[in-house]
Amino acid sequence: MKKTDLGLTLVLFTAVSAFTIRQNSTPEIPSNFPVPVYDLSINPVTEGGFELGKALFYDPLLSSDGSISCGSCHQQWAGFTNEDHTGSHGVDNQLGLRNALPLFNLLFYEHFFWDGGVHNLDLTPMNAIENPIELNESLDNILVKLNASDFYKDRFRQVYRVEQITSKEFLQSMTQFLASLISAGSRYDRYIRKEGEVLTSDELAGMALVEQKCAPCHSTALFTDRSFRNSGVENNFRFDKGREEITLNVADRGRFRVPTLRNLDYTAPYMHDGSINTLEEVLEHYNSGMEDQETLDPIFRQRTGPPGLTLNESEKKQILAFLKTLNDPDFIKNRRFSEQ
Amino acid sequence: MGKNFVFLGLWALSQICYAQKAGNIEIGFDHFFNGEELAFNKTYTNIHGEDVKFTAISYFISNISLQRKDGSLYTLPQDSSYFIVRHTPETDQRKIALKYIPEGEYTGIRFMIGVDSLRNTMSIERRTGNLDMAAGAKGMYWVWNSGYIFFKLEGTSKASPEKMKNRFTYHIGGFGGYRTKTINALREKKLDFSPVKVLPGSAERLKIKVNVDKFFYGHYNLRISEKPSVMWGVEAEKIADNYSEAFEIR
Repeated sequence: MKKTDLGLTLVLFTAVSAFTIRQNSTPEIPSNFPVPVYDLSINPVTEGGFELGKALFYDPLLSSDGSISCGSCHQQWAGFTNEDHTGSHGVDNQLGLRNALPLFNLLFYEHFFWDGGVHNLDLTPMNAIENPIELNESLDNILVKLNASDFYKDRFRQVYRVEQITSKEFLQSMTQFLASLISAGSRYDRYIRKEGEVLTSDELAGMALVEQKCAPCHSTALFTDRSFRNSGVENNFRFDKGREEITLNVADRGRFRVPTLRNLDYTAPYMHDGSINTLEEVLEHYNSGMEDQETLDPIFRQRTGPPGLTLNESEKKQILAFLKTLNDPDFIKNRRFSEQ
Repeated sequence: MGKNFVFLGLWALSQICYAQKAGNIEIGFDHFFNGEELAFNKTYTNIHGEDVKFTAISYFISNISLQRKDGSLYTLPQDSSYFIVRHTPETDQRKIALKYIPEGEYTGIRFMIGVDSLRNTMSIERRTGNLDMAAGAKGMYWVWNSGYIFFKLEGTSKASPEKMKNRFTYHIGGFGGYRTKTINALREKKLDFSPVKVLPGSAERLKIKVNVDKFFYGHYNLRISEKPSVMWGVEAEKIADNYSEAFEIR
Protein backbone atom coordinates (compact mmCIF):
# COMPACT_ATOMS: atom_id res chain seq x y z
CA MET A 1 0.00 0.00 0.00
CA LYS A 2 1.29 3.43 -0.90
CA LYS A 3 1.97 5.90 1.91
CA THR A 4 -0.84 8.23 0.81
CA ASP A 5 -3.31 5.35 0.71
CA LEU A 6 -2.35 4.36 4.23
CA GLY A 7 -2.79 7.95 5.40
CA LEU A 8 -6.17 8.18 3.74
CA THR A 9 -7.26 4.88 5.29
CA LEU A 10 -6.22 6.09 8.73
CA VAL A 11 -8.12 9.35 8.33
CA LEU A 12 -11.18 7.48 7.13
CA PHE A 13 -10.92 4.98 9.96
CA THR A 14 -10.66 7.75 12.56
CA ALA A 15 -13.61 9.56 11.02
CA VAL A 16 -15.72 6.40 11.02
CA SER A 17 -14.79 5.45 14.60
CA ALA A 18 -15.45 9.02 15.76
CA PHE A 19 -18.89 8.64 14.22
CA THR A 20 -19.60 5.31 15.96
CA ILE A 21 -18.27 6.59 19.29
CA ARG A 22 -20.83 9.38 19.40
CA GLN A 23 -23.56 7.28 17.84
CA ASN A 24 -26.72 7.19 19.92
CA SER A 25 -27.22 3.77 21.55
CA THR A 26 -30.24 4.42 23.75
CA PRO A 27 -31.60 1.06 24.86
CA GLU A 28 -35.03 0.27 23.49
CA ILE A 29 -37.75 0.20 26.16
CA PRO A 30 -39.85 -2.96 25.65
CA SER A 31 -43.52 -2.17 25.00
CA ASN A 32 -44.70 -4.41 27.87
CA PHE A 33 -42.44 -2.69 30.44
CA PRO A 34 -43.21 0.13 32.89
CA VAL A 35 -41.84 3.65 32.45
CA PRO A 36 -38.09 3.89 33.18
CA VAL A 37 -37.07 5.58 36.42
CA TYR A 38 -33.60 6.64 35.30
CA ASP A 39 -33.59 9.73 33.11
CA LEU A 40 -31.43 8.85 30.13
CA SER A 41 -31.74 12.36 28.71
CA ILE A 42 -29.29 13.50 31.42
CA ASN A 43 -26.84 10.76 30.45
CA PRO A 44 -27.57 9.79 26.84
CA VAL A 45 -26.13 6.41 25.92
CA THR A 46 -23.62 6.53 23.08
CA GLU A 47 -21.79 3.61 21.54
CA GLY A 48 -18.50 4.92 22.94
CA GLY A 49 -19.93 5.48 26.44
CA PHE A 50 -21.43 2.00 26.46
CA GLU A 51 -18.15 0.39 25.35
CA LEU A 52 -16.25 2.38 27.96
CA GLY A 53 -18.68 1.32 30.69
CA LYS A 54 -18.31 -2.27 29.57
CA ALA A 55 -14.50 -2.07 29.63
CA LEU A 56 -14.67 -0.70 33.19
CA PHE A 57 -17.20 -3.33 34.26
CA TYR A 58 -14.80 -6.10 33.30
CA ASP A 59 -11.60 -4.37 34.46
CA PRO A 60 -9.98 -5.61 37.72
CA LEU A 61 -8.37 -2.16 37.94
CA LEU A 62 -11.49 -1.32 39.91
CA SER A 63 -10.38 -3.49 42.85
CA SER A 64 -7.70 -2.63 45.41
CA ASP A 65 -5.40 -5.52 44.52
CA GLY A 66 -6.33 -5.82 40.85
CA SER A 67 -7.77 -9.28 41.46
CA ILE A 68 -11.47 -8.88 40.67
CA SER A 69 -13.83 -6.82 38.56
CA CYS A 70 -17.57 -6.14 38.69
CA GLY A 71 -17.90 -9.00 36.23
CA SER A 72 -16.29 -11.44 38.68
CA CYS A 73 -19.42 -11.47 40.85
CA HIS A 74 -21.89 -10.46 38.15
CA GLN A 75 -21.39 -13.13 35.51
CA GLN A 76 -23.36 -12.84 32.31
CA TRP A 77 -24.02 -16.58 32.03
CA ALA A 78 -25.50 -16.44 35.55
CA GLY A 79 -27.85 -13.56 34.69
CA PHE A 80 -25.12 -11.24 36.02
CA THR A 81 -25.17 -12.86 39.46
CA ASN A 82 -22.43 -14.92 41.10
CA GLU A 83 -22.82 -18.54 40.09
CA ASP A 84 -22.85 -20.99 42.99
CA HIS A 85 -22.10 -18.32 45.58
CA THR A 86 -24.41 -17.71 48.49
CA GLY A 87 -22.66 -14.43 49.27
CA SER A 88 -20.49 -12.25 47.09
CA HIS A 89 -16.86 -13.21 46.83
CA GLY A 90 -14.52 -10.25 47.26
CA VAL A 91 -10.80 -9.46 47.49
CA ASP A 92 -8.72 -11.69 49.81
CA ASN A 93 -11.31 -14.45 49.31
CA GLN A 94 -13.71 -12.76 51.68
CA LEU A 95 -17.38 -13.62 51.51
CA GLY A 96 -20.22 -11.14 51.83
CA LEU A 97 -23.48 -11.70 53.70
CA ARG A 98 -25.79 -11.20 50.77
CA ASN A 99 -26.37 -12.95 47.48
CA ALA A 100 -25.25 -10.83 44.49
CA LEU A 101 -28.35 -9.45 42.78
CA PRO A 102 -28.84 -9.98 39.05
CA LEU A 103 -28.06 -6.98 36.86
CA PHE A 104 -30.71 -6.36 34.23
CA ASN A 105 -33.67 -4.04 33.72
CA LEU A 106 -31.99 -1.65 36.17
CA LEU A 107 -33.38 1.41 34.41
CA PHE A 108 -36.70 0.69 36.06
CA TYR A 109 -35.63 0.78 39.69
CA GLU A 110 -35.73 3.58 42.18
CA HIS A 111 -33.81 1.78 44.93
CA PHE A 112 -30.93 -0.64 44.59
CA PHE A 113 -29.45 -3.53 46.58
CA TRP A 114 -31.31 -5.88 48.92
CA ASP A 115 -31.91 -3.12 51.45
CA GLY A 116 -32.56 -0.33 48.95
CA GLY A 117 -29.84 1.82 50.46
CA VAL A 118 -28.78 3.38 47.15
CA HIS A 119 -31.27 5.51 45.28
CA ASN A 120 -29.60 6.35 42.00
CA LEU A 121 -28.26 3.95 39.37
CA ASP A 122 -25.18 6.18 38.96
CA LEU A 123 -24.20 5.58 42.57
CA THR A 124 -24.55 1.79 42.57
CA PRO A 125 -20.99 0.88 41.48
CA MET A 126 -19.55 2.83 44.41
CA ASN A 127 -21.22 0.53 46.90
CA ALA A 128 -19.36 -2.53 45.58
CA ILE A 129 -16.17 -0.56 44.93
CA GLU A 130 -15.80 0.83 48.43
CA ASN A 131 -17.09 -2.23 50.30
CA PRO A 132 -14.03 -3.66 52.11
CA ILE A 133 -15.16 -7.23 51.40
CA GLU A 134 -15.95 -6.57 47.75
CA LEU A 135 -13.67 -4.45 45.55
CA ASN A 136 -12.16 -2.67 48.57
CA GLU A 137 -11.07 0.34 46.53
CA SER A 138 -11.82 4.05 46.78
CA LEU A 139 -13.44 6.12 44.09
CA ASP A 140 -10.68 8.73 44.14
CA ASN A 141 -7.98 6.09 43.78
CA ILE A 142 -9.76 4.56 40.79
CA LEU A 143 -9.71 8.00 39.18
CA VAL A 144 -5.97 8.23 39.86
CA LYS A 145 -5.48 4.87 38.14
CA LEU A 146 -7.73 5.78 35.20
CA ASN A 147 -5.99 9.11 34.71
CA ALA A 148 -2.65 7.30 34.65
CA SER A 149 -3.84 4.93 31.93
CA ASP A 150 -3.27 5.94 28.30
CA PHE A 151 -6.02 3.58 27.19
CA TYR A 152 -8.67 5.15 29.41
CA LYS A 153 -7.41 8.72 28.98
CA ASP A 154 -7.77 8.23 25.25
CA ARG A 155 -11.22 6.65 25.46
CA PHE A 156 -12.61 9.25 27.86
CA ARG A 157 -11.20 12.01 25.67
CA GLN A 158 -12.99 10.57 22.64
CA VAL A 159 -16.29 9.97 24.40
CA TYR A 160 -16.56 12.94 26.77
CA ARG A 161 -13.97 15.34 25.30
CA VAL A 162 -12.31 15.66 28.70
CA GLU A 163 -8.63 15.70 29.60
CA GLN A 164 -9.23 14.78 33.24
CA ILE A 165 -11.50 11.86 34.16
CA THR A 166 -13.73 12.72 37.12
CA SER A 167 -16.42 10.88 39.12
CA LYS A 168 -19.06 12.15 36.74
CA GLU A 169 -17.65 10.62 33.54
CA PHE A 170 -16.57 7.45 35.33
CA LEU A 171 -19.95 6.78 36.95
CA GLN A 172 -21.99 7.91 33.96
CA SER A 173 -20.17 5.53 31.62
CA MET A 174 -20.72 2.68 34.07
CA THR A 175 -24.41 3.57 34.01
CA GLN A 176 -24.45 3.51 30.22
CA PHE A 177 -23.41 -0.12 30.30
CA LEU A 178 -25.69 -1.06 33.21
CA ALA A 179 -28.68 0.73 31.71
CA SER A 180 -28.23 -1.17 28.45
CA LEU A 181 -28.65 -4.54 30.16
CA ILE A 182 -32.27 -5.10 29.29
CA SER A 183 -33.71 -8.58 29.39
CA ALA A 184 -37.07 -8.71 27.65
CA GLY A 185 -36.67 -11.47 25.09
CA SER A 186 -38.08 -14.43 26.99
CA ARG A 187 -40.81 -16.67 25.57
CA TYR A 188 -43.23 -14.99 27.96
CA ASP A 189 -42.32 -11.57 26.52
CA ARG A 190 -42.83 -12.75 22.96
CA TYR A 191 -46.15 -14.28 23.97
CA ILE A 192 -47.38 -11.19 25.79
CA ARG A 193 -46.25 -8.88 22.98
CA LYS A 194 -48.03 -11.16 20.49
CA GLU A 195 -44.90 -11.91 18.52
CA GLY A 196 -46.09 -15.37 17.50
CA GLU A 197 -45.02 -17.27 20.63
CA VAL A 198 -47.37 -19.89 22.08
CA LEU A 199 -47.39 -21.11 25.69
CA THR A 200 -48.44 -24.64 26.68
CA SER A 201 -51.49 -25.24 28.84
CA ASP A 202 -49.27 -25.98 31.86
CA GLU A 203 -47.35 -22.76 31.31
CA LEU A 204 -50.57 -20.77 30.98
CA ALA A 205 -51.98 -22.37 34.13
CA GLY A 206 -48.70 -21.49 35.86
CA MET A 207 -49.02 -17.90 34.67
CA ALA A 208 -52.51 -17.68 36.14
CA LEU A 209 -51.23 -19.12 39.42
CA VAL A 210 -48.37 -16.62 39.58
CA GLU A 211 -50.86 -13.81 38.99
CA GLN A 212 -53.12 -15.21 41.68
CA LYS A 213 -50.60 -16.30 44.32
CA CYS A 214 -47.32 -14.49 43.65
CA ALA A 215 -48.58 -11.03 42.68
CA PRO A 216 -48.75 -8.33 44.05
CA CYS A 217 -45.14 -8.94 45.12
CA HIS A 218 -43.93 -10.34 41.80
CA SER A 219 -45.97 -8.04 39.60
CA THR A 220 -45.60 -6.02 36.38
CA ALA A 221 -43.40 -7.05 33.48
CA LEU A 222 -40.44 -6.71 35.86
CA PHE A 223 -41.96 -9.50 37.99
CA THR A 224 -41.36 -7.48 41.13
CA ASP A 225 -43.32 -4.64 42.64
CA ARG A 226 -39.89 -3.26 43.62
CA SER A 227 -40.91 -3.13 47.29
CA PHE A 228 -39.25 -4.57 50.40
CA ARG A 229 -40.89 -7.48 52.16
CA ASN A 230 -40.16 -10.13 54.72
CA SER A 231 -40.58 -13.54 53.11
CA GLY A 232 -39.81 -15.60 56.19
CA VAL A 233 -36.27 -16.66 55.42
CA GLU A 234 -34.66 -17.92 58.62
CA ASN A 235 -32.82 -15.04 60.25
CA ASN A 236 -31.86 -14.23 63.84
CA PHE A 237 -31.20 -10.62 62.78
CA ARG A 238 -27.87 -10.52 64.51
CA PHE A 239 -25.97 -9.83 61.30
CA ASP A 240 -28.47 -8.65 58.75
CA LYS A 241 -31.61 -6.72 59.54
CA GLY A 242 -32.44 -5.98 55.90
CA ARG A 243 -34.16 -2.72 55.13
CA GLU A 244 -34.05 -1.75 58.80
CA GLU A 245 -30.31 -1.14 58.36
CA ILE A 246 -31.27 1.81 56.15
CA THR A 247 -34.50 3.12 57.65
CA LEU A 248 -33.66 2.30 61.30
CA ASN A 249 -37.32 1.37 61.60
CA VAL A 250 -37.97 -1.94 63.41
CA ALA A 251 -41.01 -2.49 61.18
CA ASP A 252 -38.50 -2.98 58.35
CA ARG A 253 -36.63 -5.77 60.14
CA GLY A 254 -36.04 -8.67 57.78
CA ARG A 255 -37.52 -6.87 54.81
CA PHE A 256 -35.56 -7.29 51.61
CA ARG A 257 -36.10 -6.24 48.02
CA VAL A 258 -38.62 -8.44 46.20
CA PRO A 259 -36.41 -9.96 43.50
CA THR A 260 -37.49 -10.42 39.90
CA LEU A 261 -38.67 -13.82 38.66
CA ARG A 262 -36.87 -13.38 35.35
CA ASN A 263 -33.92 -15.56 34.38
CA LEU A 264 -34.24 -17.76 37.47
CA ASP A 265 -32.69 -20.75 35.72
CA TYR A 266 -29.37 -18.90 35.64
CA THR A 267 -29.38 -17.11 38.99
CA ALA A 268 -29.25 -19.85 41.65
CA PRO A 269 -28.83 -19.83 44.61
CA TYR A 270 -31.92 -17.91 45.70
CA MET A 271 -33.13 -15.54 48.43
CA HIS A 272 -31.20 -12.58 49.88
CA ASP A 273 -28.74 -14.85 51.63
CA GLY A 274 -28.48 -17.45 48.89
CA SER A 275 -29.79 -20.05 51.32
CA ILE A 276 -31.95 -22.02 48.86
CA ASN A 277 -30.42 -23.87 45.93
CA THR A 278 -33.32 -24.93 43.72
CA LEU A 279 -36.61 -23.43 42.59
CA GLU A 280 -38.46 -26.50 43.85
CA GLU A 281 -37.12 -25.79 47.32
CA VAL A 282 -38.03 -22.10 46.98
CA LEU A 283 -41.63 -23.08 46.26
CA GLU A 284 -41.56 -25.49 49.18
CA HIS A 285 -40.26 -22.65 51.35
CA TYR A 286 -43.37 -20.65 50.46
CA ASN A 287 -45.49 -23.73 51.01
CA SER A 288 -44.23 -24.94 54.35
CA GLY A 289 -40.84 -23.53 55.25
CA MET A 290 -41.50 -19.96 56.29
CA GLU A 291 -40.20 -18.77 59.64
CA ASP A 292 -42.95 -16.95 61.48
CA GLN A 293 -41.29 -13.60 62.18
CA GLU A 294 -42.97 -10.54 63.62
CA THR A 295 -42.43 -8.52 60.46
CA LEU A 296 -43.39 -11.36 58.09
CA ASP A 297 -45.38 -9.91 55.20
CA PRO A 298 -49.10 -10.11 56.09
CA ILE A 299 -49.77 -11.54 52.63
CA PHE A 300 -48.47 -14.90 53.89
CA ARG A 301 -50.67 -15.04 56.99
CA GLN A 302 -53.39 -17.68 56.96
CA ARG A 303 -56.63 -17.63 58.93
CA THR A 304 -55.48 -20.84 60.59
CA GLY A 305 -52.21 -22.69 60.66
CA PRO A 306 -48.68 -21.65 59.76
CA PRO A 307 -47.97 -18.90 57.20
CA GLY A 308 -47.52 -19.85 53.56
CA LEU A 309 -49.06 -20.01 50.13
CA THR A 310 -50.55 -23.52 50.18
CA LEU A 311 -49.51 -24.92 46.83
CA ASN A 312 -50.27 -28.47 45.79
CA GLU A 313 -47.94 -30.60 43.68
CA SER A 314 -49.61 -29.90 40.36
CA GLU A 315 -49.70 -26.18 41.08
CA LYS A 316 -46.02 -26.21 41.90
CA LYS A 317 -45.31 -28.02 38.64
CA GLN A 318 -47.32 -25.50 36.66
CA ILE A 319 -45.64 -22.53 38.35
CA LEU A 320 -42.23 -24.01 37.60
CA ALA A 321 -43.24 -24.48 33.97
CA PHE A 322 -44.27 -20.85 33.73
CA LEU A 323 -41.10 -19.59 35.46
CA LYS A 324 -39.06 -21.28 32.72
CA THR A 325 -40.79 -19.10 30.13
CA LEU A 326 -39.20 -16.09 31.88
CA ASN A 327 -35.70 -17.24 30.96
CA ASP A 328 -34.02 -15.12 28.32
CA PRO A 329 -31.20 -17.21 26.81
CA ASP A 330 -30.48 -14.56 24.16
CA PHE A 331 -29.76 -12.04 26.90
CA ILE A 332 -27.26 -14.16 28.75
CA LYS A 333 -25.53 -15.03 25.49
CA ASN A 334 -25.66 -11.58 23.92
CA ARG A 335 -22.09 -10.86 22.78
CA ARG A 336 -22.72 -7.14 23.11
CA PHE A 337 -22.63 -7.51 26.90
CA SER A 338 -19.80 -10.04 27.07
CA GLU A 339 -16.25 -9.63 28.18
CA GLN A 340 -14.15 -9.88 25.03
CA MET B 1 -13.39 36.33 14.98
CA GLY B 2 -14.17 40.03 15.51
CA LYS B 3 -17.54 39.09 16.93
CA ASN B 4 -15.85 36.85 19.49
CA PHE B 5 -13.68 39.71 20.65
CA VAL B 6 -16.69 41.94 21.13
CA PHE B 7 -18.31 39.25 23.28
CA LEU B 8 -15.11 38.72 25.22
CA GLY B 9 -14.87 42.47 25.84
CA LEU B 10 -18.47 42.67 27.00
CA TRP B 11 -17.97 39.71 29.29
CA ALA B 12 -14.82 41.19 30.82
CA LEU B 13 -16.61 44.52 31.29
CA SER B 14 -19.57 42.85 32.99
CA GLN B 15 -17.19 40.99 35.32
CA ILE B 16 -15.43 44.22 36.27
CA CYS B 17 -18.75 45.99 36.93
CA TYR B 18 -19.97 43.02 38.94
CA ALA B 19 -16.82 42.84 41.02
CA GLN B 20 -16.95 46.56 41.65
CA LYS B 21 -20.34 46.36 43.29
CA ALA B 22 -19.42 43.34 45.38
CA GLY B 23 -16.98 42.36 48.06
CA ASN B 24 -15.88 39.16 49.75
CA ILE B 25 -16.35 37.73 53.21
CA GLU B 26 -14.02 35.12 54.59
CA ILE B 27 -15.31 33.00 57.44
CA GLY B 28 -12.86 31.28 59.73
CA PHE B 29 -13.98 28.40 61.94
CA ASP B 30 -12.09 28.16 65.22
CA HIS B 31 -12.34 24.94 67.19
CA PHE B 32 -12.44 25.11 70.96
CA PHE B 33 -12.70 22.56 73.74
CA ASN B 34 -13.69 23.57 77.28
CA GLY B 35 -12.96 27.17 76.43
CA GLU B 36 -9.49 26.77 74.98
CA GLU B 37 -8.39 26.54 71.39
CA LEU B 38 -8.35 22.88 70.37
CA ALA B 39 -4.98 21.29 69.67
CA PHE B 40 -4.53 17.79 68.26
CA ASN B 41 -1.62 16.91 70.52
CA LYS B 42 -3.56 17.67 73.67
CA THR B 43 -5.84 15.46 75.75
CA TYR B 44 -9.04 17.00 77.10
CA THR B 45 -11.77 15.77 79.42
CA ASN B 46 -15.37 15.75 78.23
CA ILE B 47 -18.39 16.53 80.40
CA HIS B 48 -18.72 12.85 81.31
CA GLY B 49 -15.20 12.74 82.71
CA GLU B 50 -13.79 10.82 79.74
CA ASP B 51 -10.44 11.73 78.27
CA VAL B 52 -10.51 12.74 74.60
CA LYS B 53 -7.84 13.40 71.99
CA PHE B 54 -8.91 14.31 68.48
CA THR B 55 -7.73 13.20 65.06
CA ALA B 56 -10.40 14.67 62.77
CA ILE B 57 -13.12 17.30 62.77
CA SER B 58 -14.93 17.78 59.45
CA TYR B 59 -18.31 19.15 58.54
CA PHE B 60 -20.37 20.56 55.72
CA ILE B 61 -21.52 24.18 55.78
CA SER B 62 -24.08 24.96 53.08
CA ASN B 63 -27.03 27.04 51.92
CA ILE B 64 -25.63 30.29 53.23
CA SER B 65 -27.65 33.50 53.48
CA LEU B 66 -26.51 36.82 54.87
CA GLN B 67 -28.92 39.10 56.63
CA ARG B 68 -28.79 42.80 55.85
CA LYS B 69 -29.28 45.49 58.47
CA ASP B 70 -32.81 46.08 57.13
CA GLY B 71 -33.67 42.44 57.73
CA SER B 72 -33.63 41.37 54.08
CA LEU B 73 -31.57 38.37 53.04
CA TYR B 74 -28.89 37.84 50.44
CA THR B 75 -28.74 34.15 49.56
CA LEU B 76 -25.61 32.80 47.91
CA PRO B 77 -26.19 31.10 44.56
CA GLN B 78 -26.97 27.42 45.19
CA ASP B 79 -24.11 26.10 43.10
CA SER B 80 -21.50 28.01 45.11
CA SER B 81 -22.99 27.41 48.52
CA TYR B 82 -21.39 24.12 49.64
CA PHE B 83 -18.29 24.17 51.80
CA ILE B 84 -16.37 21.62 53.84
CA VAL B 85 -14.39 22.46 56.92
CA ARG B 86 -11.62 19.91 57.42
CA HIS B 87 -9.37 19.89 60.41
CA THR B 88 -6.92 17.08 61.08
CA PRO B 89 -3.29 17.06 62.23
CA GLU B 90 -2.37 17.04 58.51
CA THR B 91 -5.09 19.24 56.99
CA ASP B 92 -6.14 22.69 58.02
CA GLN B 93 -9.01 23.81 55.85
CA ARG B 94 -11.05 25.99 58.14
CA LYS B 95 -11.63 29.09 56.08
CA ILE B 96 -14.41 29.47 53.60
CA ALA B 97 -14.63 32.34 51.16
CA LEU B 98 -17.97 33.88 50.27
CA LYS B 99 -17.44 35.71 47.00
CA TYR B 100 -19.35 38.42 45.14
CA ILE B 101 -21.31 39.55 48.19
CA PRO B 102 -23.32 42.64 47.18
CA GLU B 103 -22.31 45.90 48.78
CA GLY B 104 -24.17 46.54 52.03
CA GLU B 105 -24.25 46.26 55.76
CA TYR B 106 -24.77 42.78 57.17
CA THR B 107 -25.74 41.75 60.67
CA GLY B 108 -26.29 38.03 60.55
CA ILE B 109 -25.67 34.73 58.81
CA ARG B 110 -27.83 31.67 58.25
CA PHE B 111 -26.40 28.36 57.18
CA MET B 112 -27.02 24.68 57.20
CA ILE B 113 -24.77 22.11 58.88
CA GLY B 114 -24.95 19.34 56.31
CA VAL B 115 -26.15 18.93 52.74
CA ASP B 116 -29.81 19.53 51.94
CA SER B 117 -31.99 16.66 50.75
CA LEU B 118 -32.25 18.09 47.23
CA ARG B 119 -28.48 17.89 46.64
CA ASN B 120 -28.38 14.54 48.35
CA THR B 121 -30.63 13.13 45.69
CA MET B 122 -29.39 15.04 42.64
CA SER B 123 -27.86 13.26 39.71
CA ILE B 124 -24.13 12.90 39.51
CA GLU B 125 -23.39 15.78 37.13
CA ARG B 126 -24.64 18.26 39.71
CA ARG B 127 -22.25 16.99 42.36
CA THR B 128 -19.04 18.78 41.55
CA GLY B 129 -16.36 20.47 43.66
CA ASN B 130 -17.11 20.08 47.36
CA LEU B 131 -19.92 17.62 46.55
CA ASP B 132 -17.72 15.35 44.40
CA MET B 133 -17.30 12.13 46.35
CA ALA B 134 -13.87 11.54 44.84
CA ALA B 135 -12.66 15.11 45.38
CA GLY B 136 -14.08 17.73 47.77
CA ALA B 137 -16.40 15.35 49.60
CA LYS B 138 -13.91 12.50 49.89
CA GLY B 139 -14.60 10.55 53.07
CA MET B 140 -17.79 12.51 53.66
CA TYR B 141 -20.14 10.12 51.88
CA TRP B 142 -21.84 6.80 52.60
CA VAL B 143 -21.82 4.49 49.61
CA TRP B 144 -24.10 1.76 51.03
CA ASN B 145 -26.72 4.24 52.13
CA SER B 146 -26.58 7.09 49.61
CA GLY B 147 -25.96 10.32 51.44
CA TYR B 148 -23.38 12.77 52.65
CA ILE B 149 -21.84 12.63 56.12
CA PHE B 150 -22.58 16.01 57.65
CA PHE B 151 -20.31 15.98 60.66
CA LYS B 152 -17.35 13.76 61.38
CA LEU B 153 -15.59 13.67 64.73
CA GLU B 154 -12.86 11.13 65.36
CA GLY B 155 -10.23 10.59 68.00
CA THR B 156 -9.06 8.35 70.81
CA SER B 157 -10.10 7.89 74.41
CA LYS B 158 -9.39 5.37 77.14
CA ALA B 159 -13.17 5.18 77.55
CA SER B 160 -13.37 3.41 74.17
CA PRO B 161 -12.77 -0.35 74.35
CA GLU B 162 -9.32 -1.69 73.65
CA LYS B 163 -10.65 -3.92 70.88
CA MET B 164 -11.60 -0.73 69.03
CA LYS B 165 -8.04 0.46 69.57
CA ASN B 166 -9.45 3.10 71.94
CA ARG B 167 -10.88 4.95 68.97
CA PHE B 168 -14.12 6.84 68.82
CA THR B 169 -15.78 7.45 65.47
CA TYR B 170 -18.80 9.65 64.99
CA HIS B 171 -20.16 10.05 61.47
CA ILE B 172 -23.38 12.01 61.65
CA GLY B 173 -25.65 12.44 58.65
CA GLY B 174 -29.09 11.66 57.27
CA PHE B 175 -31.09 14.03 55.11
CA GLY B 176 -34.50 12.60 55.94
CA GLY B 177 -34.71 9.83 53.35
CA TYR B 178 -35.51 9.63 49.67
CA ARG B 179 -38.93 7.97 49.49
CA THR B 180 -39.05 6.43 52.93
CA LYS B 181 -38.57 8.67 55.93
CA THR B 182 -35.26 8.09 57.69
CA ILE B 183 -33.21 10.12 60.13
CA ASN B 184 -32.83 13.82 59.55
CA ALA B 185 -29.67 15.32 60.97
CA LEU B 186 -29.87 18.52 58.92
CA ARG B 187 -29.60 21.53 61.18
CA GLU B 188 -30.05 25.18 60.30
CA LYS B 189 -28.19 27.80 62.22
CA LYS B 190 -28.72 31.53 62.58
CA LEU B 191 -26.07 33.73 64.12
CA ASP B 192 -26.11 37.48 64.60
CA PHE B 193 -23.05 39.67 64.62
CA SER B 194 -22.20 43.33 64.94
CA PRO B 195 -22.63 45.08 61.57
CA VAL B 196 -20.12 44.23 58.86
CA LYS B 197 -19.87 46.66 55.97
CA VAL B 198 -19.16 45.08 52.61
CA LEU B 199 -17.79 47.64 50.19
CA PRO B 200 -16.90 47.12 46.53
CA GLY B 201 -13.79 44.98 46.40
CA SER B 202 -13.48 44.76 50.18
CA ALA B 203 -12.42 41.61 52.00
CA GLU B 204 -14.18 41.24 55.31
CA ARG B 205 -13.54 38.62 57.96
CA LEU B 206 -15.87 36.78 60.24
CA LYS B 207 -14.94 34.32 62.96
CA ILE B 208 -17.14 31.47 64.09
CA LYS B 209 -16.26 29.62 67.24
CA VAL B 210 -17.14 25.92 67.40
CA ASN B 211 -17.20 24.54 70.93
CA VAL B 212 -16.46 20.90 70.17
CA ASP B 213 -17.07 19.94 73.82
CA LYS B 214 -20.79 20.47 73.16
CA PHE B 215 -20.79 17.51 70.79
CA PHE B 216 -21.05 15.28 73.86
CA TYR B 217 -24.00 16.84 75.68
CA GLY B 218 -26.99 19.17 75.51
CA HIS B 219 -29.74 17.05 74.01
CA TYR B 220 -28.09 13.67 74.25
CA ASN B 221 -25.43 12.52 76.66
CA LEU B 222 -22.94 10.92 74.34
CA ARG B 223 -20.68 8.79 76.48
CA ILE B 224 -17.75 7.27 74.62
CA SER B 225 -17.82 4.30 77.02
CA GLU B 226 -21.38 3.51 75.89
CA LYS B 227 -21.18 4.51 72.24
CA PRO B 228 -17.65 4.64 70.89
CA SER B 229 -19.04 4.65 67.37
CA VAL B 230 -22.12 6.20 65.79
CA MET B 231 -22.30 5.85 62.00
CA TRP B 232 -25.92 5.66 61.17
CA GLY B 233 -28.05 5.39 64.22
CA VAL B 234 -31.08 6.74 66.00
CA GLU B 235 -28.77 8.84 68.20
CA ALA B 236 -27.64 10.87 65.18
CA GLU B 237 -30.48 13.38 65.31
CA LYS B 238 -29.84 14.28 68.93
CA ILE B 239 -26.10 14.45 68.41
CA ALA B 240 -26.84 16.91 65.59
CA ASP B 241 -28.87 18.93 68.10
CA ASN B 242 -25.84 18.87 70.38
CA TYR B 243 -23.35 20.15 67.83
CA SER B 244 -25.67 22.68 66.27
CA GLU B 245 -25.39 24.53 69.59
CA ALA B 246 -21.61 24.45 69.37
CA PHE B 247 -21.53 27.24 66.77
CA GLU B 248 -21.30 30.87 67.87
CA ILE B 249 -19.84 34.14 66.65
CA ARG B 250 -16.43 34.72 68.10
